[in-house]
Amino acid sequence: MREVYVAGIGITSFTRLEYPLVEIAAYPGLMALRDSGLKKVDHLYVANMGGGRINGQTGLASAVVDHMSLTPAGAETIENGPASGASAIKQGYMAIASGMHDVVMVIGAERMREANPLEATDFVATLTHPQAEYIYGVTLPALAGMFTRLYMEKYGVTARHLAMVAVKNHKNAMDNFFAHLHEDITIEGILDSPEASTNNPYVADPLRFYDVCPVSDGGACLILATAEVMKKINKPLIRLAGVGQATDTHCVHERKDPTELLAVREAARQSFKMAGVKPSDVNVAELHDAFTILEIAESEEVGFFKKGEGHLALEKGETQIGGKIPINTSGGLKAKGHPVGATGVGQAHEIVLQLRGEAGKRQVKNAKVGFTCNFGGFGNNVVCLTFIKEK
Amino acid sequence: MELNIYAYKCKRCGELHYPYKTICKKCGENDHNEFDIVPLPKKGKLLTFTTLYTLPSDYEVVTLALGIVELEDGNRITGQLDIKNPKIGMKVNGKVSVVRKDLYKKHLGMIFYKA
Repeated sequence: MREVYVAGIGITSFTRLEYPLVEIAAYPGLMALRDSGLKKVDHLYVANMGGGRINGQTGLASAVVDHMSLTPAGAETIENGPASGASAIKQGYMAIASGMHDVVMVIGAERMREANPLEATDFVATLTHPQAEYIYGVTLPALAGMFTRLYMEKYGVTARHLAMVAVKNHKNAMDNFFAHLHEDITIEGILDSPEASTNNPYVADPLRFYDVCPVSDGGACLILATAEVMKKINKPLIRLAGVGQATDTHCVHERKDPTELLAVREAARQSFKMAGVKPSDVNVAELHDAFTILEIAESEEVGFFKKGEGHLALEKGETQIGGKIPINTSGGLKAKGHPVGATGVGQAHEIVLQLRGEAGKRQVKNAKVGFTCNFGGFGNNVVCLTFIKEK
Repeated sequence: MELNIYAYKCKRCGELHYPYKTICKKCGENDHNEFDIVPLPKKGKLLTFTTLYTLPSDYEVVTLALGIVELEDGNRITGQLDIKNPKIGMKVNGKVSVVRKDLYKKHLGMIFYKA
């Protein structure tokens, strides 16, 4: 297999965007082309989940490839729920590694705020099992709430730990121009003060408002290329070294131990094995914190901490910038935002920035190995990527 | 007539599936419809639960209590709860009734009460 590098990156703000979905996809593509200095690509993958349902736009990749005047390059839309972004990067990896293409553009784009919040929640809830979960009113926050309660009971995670994740990620997002929420929250404001129950009401008990990611619009892009192409452009050599993917039961109730995220464990294991690194080699990671509990649980499942000890590492500040393994330096889904189809590409964008040393105030010093975990459904389809900086 | 939620029992190895699967998760056999339909028990204990405050648009209530219940035969089911102060591990009894209404249809599912 050929090695695969990141030639260019681009991103929009993750926020409410008042322009069409096709443009939300095209602008980060344009930025990535400029970043790389390339003019043409062999193939385009566009990750998107709700175009057909929310925006009345099907065949998004075909619309984008024309909008960007990149025809006759091949183009495909990739839908894999909230893991669509990393899935599209995986397709790009396979296309280049196999020798089929030399330059592949991978875009993630979503425009969810065109729908009202109830419709947006319902749209994401269609990921759940239609007969055994969805009909009961189960949504992703509901599954996360039930998961959190079990986690609290089993491992002693408290509302304070969850609030600490939110505060950390909001703080990181303050230094990210493209983040959805620029709101420097405090533990006092969301947990301790008399106003906290008003500031931070329950969404899916025990999860509160500040435990849940916002509904965002946004797009991000990575251009992947061969070593040959990288010789012609003057860009740092960031290699996509490991790709892993695994699935789990559709219904959460079917899992032997519902506090275990086996798909995360397996996808991370594959990704690290392929890259030839260990979890302890990772310098910076973006984990899928659609709910604060997930950052804690995933940090254990991918192997950064022992099972049941993620919240203890969080207490010690090990996941802050400057700590042992900084997690979600971009603000994560919690504060950077979660435009579902774009999220996985947005995570990779942050890791590439960090490995290039271009992350500004939130830069992790001497970051050489970066990792992303993109979590689809409620952990039933997970894609993990490992990036390594060369030289 | 008493309403039930049904599990699917593999005719070859006896493994129970809820919800339905095309291929048995234990013996991996794939002859289509090689399953016997058996009603799930209605007694069980509460494994975990949540109260949802942001509901999908079909609902006219303000909050909705949901939970996962481990049934007597070891199978698990997700359902709605009609319980004042739910606690992990408490005994519950289920009843099948309407859990969601949309424009066209009433959906039946399991609602659990304190045993």
